[in-house]
Amino acid sequence: MATRGKFSYYVEPRALQVADRPRKFLAAFAAVLEHGNYAVALDSYARLVARCGRCAASCQLYAVTGEDQDIPCHRSELLLRVYRRYFTTAGLLKARVSGASAFTLTDDYLDRMGEQFYRCTACRRCRVECPLGVDHGLVTHLARWLLAEIDVVPKALVAAVREQLEGAGNTSAVSVAGLKDTCEFLEEELRDTWGVEAKFPFDVEGAEYVFFPAVSDYLLEADTLMGNAAVMHVSGGSWTIGTGNFDGINYGLFYSDRMFERIIRRLIAEVRRLKGRKVLVGECGHATRSAWCIPAYAGADPPEVVNCLEYAWRMLEAGRIPLKPERIPERVTYHDPCNLARVGRITEEPREILKAICADYVEMTPNRTRNYCCGGGGGTVSLDEIRPFRTGLMGRKKAEQIRATGAQLVVAPCANCKKQLREVCEDHGLEGVKVVGLHELLLRAMDFGVAAPAAAAGAGLAAAGDSSPTG
Amino acid sequence: MHGWLQWLQGPVFWAALCFAVLGLARRLGLAVAQIRGALARAGDRRVGYRAVWRGTVRWLSPAAPLGARPLFGATSALFHLGVIVAPLFLAGHIALIRDAVGLAWPALPNAAATALALAAVVAAVALVIERLASRATRSLSGFQEYALPLVVALPLVTGLLVMHPAWNPAPYEPMLLLHAATADLLLVLVPVTKLSHVALFPVTQLATELAWHFAPDAGAKVGLALGREGEPI
Ligand code: SF4
Repeated sequence: MATRGKFSYYVEPRALQVADRPRKFLAAFAAVLEHGNYAVALDSYARLVARCGRCAASCQLYAVTGEDQDIPCHRSELLLRVYRRYFTTAGLLKARVSGASAFTLTDDYLDRMGEQFYRCTACRRCRVECPLGVDHGLVTHLARWLLAEIDVVPKALVAAVREQLEGAGNTSAVSVAGLKDTCEFLEEELRDTWGVEAKFPFDVEGAEYVFFPAVSDYLLEADTLMGNAAVMHVSGGSWTIGTGNFDGINYGLFYSDRMFERIIRRLIAEVRRLKGRKVLVGECGHATRSAWCIPAYAGADPPEVVNCLEYAWRMLEAGRIPLKPERIPERVTYHDPCNLARVGRITEEPREILKAICADYVEMTPNRTRNYCCGGGGGTVSLDEIRPFRTGLMGRKKAEQIRATGAQLVVAPCANCKKQLREVCEDHGLEGVKVVGLHELLLRAMDFGVAAPAAAAGAGLAAAGDSSPTG
Repeated sequence: MHGWLQWLQGPVFWAALCFAVLGLARRLGLAVAQIRGALARAGDRRVGYRAVWRGTVRWLSPAAPLGARPLFGATSALFHLGVIVAPLFLAGHIALIRDAVGLAWPALPNAAATALALAAVVAAVALVIERLASRATRSLSGFQEYALPLVVALPLVTGLLVMHPAWNPAPYEPMLLLHAATADLLLVLVPVTKLSHVALFPVTQLATELAWHFAPDAGAKVGLALGREGEPI
């Protein structure tokens, strides 16, 4: 059951039944300011925004639409205005003085916010452009949480979190039996096609790494997962998949810190149950960024968080991943997922790996911390109903970038980016372009000491389904 | 007339200066308190101070504002340079302060100060025009955005006229009076408008960084406060 109506995305019917929304929104705002860490930023933003328009030039959406509403500063102003009016002395005084003509938070205004804050992927590209340090991605993040407290939140996101926290335990409703089946199948595939006896170990207590990919990888990205398993196998890594929780996805990051922290605590609990020492995150970008927050929630002795790209590069560098002499011949380019690259945390490892295994690696520009978002960030990729917006407007810059590289393979190490980029390529007529995971290529390049059938090269189990939820 | 001038240059000036300094100090104090509060609440206190520092000082380089909007950025850099340097290093100002409190520092040659002040005035007008000329900034801007550069330019304009009688269409004394009055006004506006970035600039990047350092139980506490904690999702 879903309702469109007011928003361009589906919401649950109850979103339209909430009464007294302005008061509830403000109550949520007050509580968040009291208990969270947002006040320090909002206060500075609300007082100092320069309105210099530099952010406009950096937003890939504004670059395409040219609409005032899509200027980052314009959107953030929607929330800052509420903050100024209701949470600063000057605002309260001004409202007293100007009486009825003062700005008041209304239902219409809230609906506008509901629409606007889902036109931003929170990619934070505009952040580096702001002389006063305003992070519009942060404002979007916060505004979405506040909106969620009056149930303005896309149905797809809420349904996935419900499944994860109150249902099957993961966002794609994969059962443990189903998971084991899939992994068994992948093990067979690894053995028969690639000639390697790699295993997917379950519930191994005391393993060094507990593995959390986006659970959708088990459904959609078989090659990438096989690559993960193969890397762990050849490098002799001690790892395990917990049957209690095997989903790294955290849609709380996209709409509610309340959900975010519950999902993270579940993940930590599983690592503790298995007495694991480290969290190994799959290629997924937002899962990695969420996991980086683990130290904030894990108390003493938090598990270390390692992304599988970092792990793979470390092993490759140490000579523990044998490579075939011949390199991957296709032209390959790399898409930086915002959640890995924006703060400069993971930009070089994937490049080093790709340069080692590809004969024709090219960069798209801009890249690294200045990359363009795939266009489906901030959870919007899960909203199939806004696909024309996502690929046509938000993803247009990306399509141009990919086209300019002339690449046949676009490596996108994030489950969200993968789905979005496949749709971008489809909708922009980039027919010859295939979107792959980095571990999928690594699997092709690894030398298992046996003559793997040549046909295996490029063989893919993964067919991206349009309607399947992804991480 | 002379009495008025003495009043504006004396008690009013000192009152305005105190208002500005104390106002900024208060804001800065509040910001520091907020920062400490955020740090205390944060579950993970490893803050990327290096990146914050780099992100902050980056903007102090005159080349930094170029980039996304080069013309606007260059104008802004010129404006800032003139507004800060010209009045602070003007021989006449330094003499006034030396007479009042005995502090002095090296002055710029008057010709250089004049050139800088002129550049800043031109830049202020250009900022307003450029703001109006681009659709993005036009849609973002309100009264403050247009008024503030001009208000900042007023003491510079009057100061230039005072320094260069040949340019001055009005008599000297009233112009000096106007100069003192506009300078006092500017001082009063600094802590209560976005001009307060003169003092708060160093905390803006840190504020963003800290906001991303979630307080580990903030969500649950908000849920409790709103009576939604036990609610099914
Ligand atoms: S965070 Fe990204 S999508 Fe959102 S306004 Fe900034 S550049 Fe645009």
